[in-house]
Amino acid sequence: MSNGIPLTEALARYRPDALVEPLPKLTDSDTLLNAHHPDHLRGSLVKLVVGANAGESCQRELAEILQSEAFIDEADLAGTPVTDIDVLVIGGGGAGCAAALMAAEKGARVLLATKLRLGDSNTVMAEGGIQAAIEPDDSVQQHIQDTLRGGHHAGDPALVAVMAGDGPDVLRWLIRRGMQFEQTPSGDLHTRRAGGMSSARLVHCRDYTGLEMMRVLREAVIQHRSIEVWEQSPAVELLSNELGQKCVGAVLTSLLDGQLRIVRTRSVILATGGLGRLHLNGFPTSNHLGATGDGLVLAYRIGARLRELDSFQYHPTGLVHPTHLSGKLVTEGVRAAGTLLLNGLGQRFIDELLPRDMVCAAILRECSEGRGIRIDGQRVGVWLDTPRLERANPGLLEKQFPNLMTRTRVSGIDPRTEPLLVHPTLHYQNGGAVIDVNGATTVPGLYAVGEVAGGIHGRNRIMGNALLEIISFGRRAGIAATANRDRGPKKVTLEHVNRLRRALTLAGMPLTRRAPQVLPGYAAGGLWNR
Amino acid sequence: MPSIEPHLVLLHPDRRIGADMARWRQSGGGEALACAAQNPAAVRGEIRLADLRGLGGSGFPAWRKWDMVAAAAPKPDKYLVVNGNEDEPGTFKDRLLLEETPHQIIEGAVVAALAIGANRVVLYINPDMVRSLAAMKAALEQWRASDLLAQASTALGKPLQLDLLPGSGHYIGGEETASMEWVEGRFSSGVTSVNGYESSLKKSSSSDITPASGHESSLKQSFGSVPEPKLRFPFPRGKPPYPAQAGVHGCPTLINNVETLAHVPHIVVHGAAWFRALGKAPGTGTKLYSLSGDVLYPGVFELPMGTPLRELIFAHGGGLLSGKPLKAVFTGGPSNTLLTPADLDVALDFESLRARGSNLGTGAMIVISEGTGIVKRVAEYERFFAHSSCGQCNSCKVGTATMSRLLDRIDTGRGTTADLATLENLCAMLPGSGRCHLLNGAVQLLDSAFHHFHDEFKQALR
Repeated sequence: MSNGIPLTEALARYRPDALVEPLPKLTDSDTLLNAHHPDHLRGSLVKLVVGANAGESCQRELAEILQSEAFIDEADLAGTPVTDIDVLVIGGGGAGCAAALMAAEKGARVLLATKLRLGDSNTVMAEGGIQAAIEPDDSVQQHIQDTLRGGHHAGDPALVAVMAGDGPDVLRWLIRRGMQFEQTPSGDLHTRRAGGMSSARLVHCRDYTGLEMMRVLREAVIQHRSIEVWEQSPAVELLSNELGQKCVGAVLTSLLDGQLRIVRTRSVILATGGLGRLHLNGFPTSNHLGATGDGLVLAYRIGARLRELDSFQYHPTGLVHPTHLSGKLVTEGVRAAGTLLLNGLGQRFIDELLPRDMVCAAILRECSEGRGIRIDGQRVGVWLDTPRLERANPGLLEKQFPNLMTRTRVSGIDPRTEPLLVHPTLHYQNGGAVIDVNGATTVPGLYAVGEVAGGIHGRNRIMGNALLEIISFGRRAGIAATANRDRGPKKVTLEHVNRLRRALTLAGMPLTRRAPQVLPGYAAGGLWNR
Repeated sequence: MPSIEPHLVLLHPDRRIGADMARWRQSGGGEALACAAQNPAAVRGEIRLADLRGLGGSGFPAWRKWDMVAAAAPKPDKYLVVNGNEDEPGTFKDRLLLEETPHQIIEGAVVAALAIGANRVVLYINPDMVRSLAAMKAALEQWRASDLLAQASTALGKPLQLDLLPGSGHYIGGEETASMEWVEGRFSSGVTSVNGYESSLKKSSSSDITPASGHESSLKQSFGSVPEPKLRFPFPRGKPPYPAQAGVHGCPTLINNVETLAHVPHIVVHGAAWFRALGKAPGTGTKLYSLSGDVLYPGVFELPMGTPLRELIFAHGGGLLSGKPLKAVFTGGPSNTLLTPADLDVALDFESLRARGSNLGTGAMIVISEGTGIVKRVAEYERFFAHSSCGQCNSCKVGTATMSRLLDRIDTGRGTTADLATLENLCAMLPGSGRCHLLNGAVQLLDSAFHHFHDEFKQALR
């Protein structure tokens, strides 16, 4: 990608009032995806050799950590303090909080362990909103269809159906806990229509819906007397029974003092989120610092089946400039409001409201074919034409997108007068652990909710379903995990780790890489290590 | 995987055929019985020459027990209990034998019965080994349908009765006197037509054999009008009297492990010299080693008795997982002294291990590598012993429970120096104070773990 139009030249050419040529007709969406979407970069896919998904392909960076050596060995557990609890929730984002709250409400003693702080998650970054079929002209059926179609029909219809069905109740549940939503002048919930939706279904709170949701959930969790919260306590391994076939707890560490702690429990709920910080194929990411795919590693090692491992969502509009905001999202709502995408020649090249994977592939095509705008050797992007929106609807940006305006203002950029330079950014892991409608994985005692779970979004998630999913399945898993009334573990072992070691050795794989990664290499303190 | 070795006797592919009478007889099954029927007295001589040992863990020469029972007068019966109550961590050889070679075992048992004059043979099997029970049940039916049993009865001079009896599901039930206690509880004295158990099995054949809770009720039904035997917990008895003198219902009783008896037909057919040559002196014959833990290929290996530990782990087990160094080996059950890397060249037979202060036991080798915590493992096994203690001897009941509790404390980071001192005192105090070997085994394991890995225990203290 050495070609491209230099920034100064593109800026000089740019006019917010220039006439835009009509959109060229999109010939074939499959060809576009195949040629340009990062999931289809053939060279970066490798086959998994061991584990429940042996024989399936996934990105090299992911395969490396899935087929890796554990950080801890049995000997490290000698003299480790043990905590007994009913339900352990790993992850302090929206899904983890919802699961913890529901489990606690059902009478379980809950321990919520989070890698960083409670609420340090991708939930707070969700800007667009949450989907729920509440409008008179909408229906749950349409919501299901949109979700399945958006996911290229790779999703599990049963999961999608319960999630869509939960939608209105999820809103009620959130509102009862004090969450604010945008309202119409008459007091109804305000809905928007976004990419991939057949009707207006996106309920939102300005452009910081996730932050508002997290505020409410976090307060509820902190106040609940049955929920204990351990911050800065990442999980480094799950524990299994003596056959390595059932999850009976986890080993947590502390980022503060490095002390290992064993938690014995009847149920473990993984709510660890995605893996943007692995920077697949060198892409920037919109994810928070802790999104290193730990949940996938832990689940895979204990034998859980995963799905759609090779499918990731790249958000079309991540900021390219300034550097410290690299990867930071510009919400799809901006495009929903009517903003166009233009290449360096000032041409439109894709319908901005097509599903994210298509828009993303189109941007990558423009960049690789020399019509992108180049800042330096590495960074290239296309215009997100916000000044044109401002001209058509004065004051709209300020009113509806305060988060974006604040972010850019402190960086000395004014979206009202200059277009934003955007490039796709690694945003969401579409696949994850195989779950049933209660969030139960294929391993007894282990539940997965939120981004770490798969099967809902198929091969592409449509906007607003992530926030719905975390609450819908978070609540379901919380209830199911509490209902698991077996007598609790007799033995806690690392038998599953040995099983994977044996399989890796037999397959001739190296045991040099260790996982879970806990923090990206460039984070303060570097790779987590004991 | 290692290729088929020429010395496979018990696990020769021809024998691993399950309950298939036709195939078994084709490959020479029944020959030993024919020999023994001709001349029952000669069998004991061959066994003695072969130096066949009790392979259930004791290593006691089989012929000595045989001779004692043979010499005793029937009162009015003589019993042979085939001990298949295998239940200890890391041992899984009998399960394989029972499951895949049921006819070999039954033939061995019948030959032994002829040799000692026993008319009652009880196949006493761990109820949790569902597939083993099913295979034995099928094989037993085939025996009843064939002429072999009649042949044996003729040679014996009275009807030979074979019964299948699922055990109690307790580890201690495998202790020889405890097994008699259970057999007595199931088969009342003098009742000769106790075929009830199997007939009840036939009735409930839809679910094959349901272990533990299932067979209690079916047993009760099956006995019908026969006075119901009293169900007893399998408490070990004090010795003497030895089972050979006064065993089941006071009758002379021979109790041998499944693997021991499985060797018998081959010794009878091929002779003692052939058998002795199979082993690496001083060991004789072959031994089934149950290899587990951090090795690449865990499993049951039939190797010459006296195969060095190094060969077992590295040549047959494929070495240690992920190439880590060897840390220790829990042997035979794991109620024996630990082996360490210094013992890698020890020959795995009864004498050589005893010379090292350890024991071959059942031939179970649980291999652990660097990176596995001794404290945790030992705590786990002591918990098993505490759980398995029958509780009739106070020192064992309290001793194993205390050891387990203190080890748990140390393992979970709550242990103090005082706890460690208490454990050391218990190791000195407890041995020999129980009726059976359970307590001794529990102490031996802990004592040797202290000996070799004292630092690790200290590090785990609070």
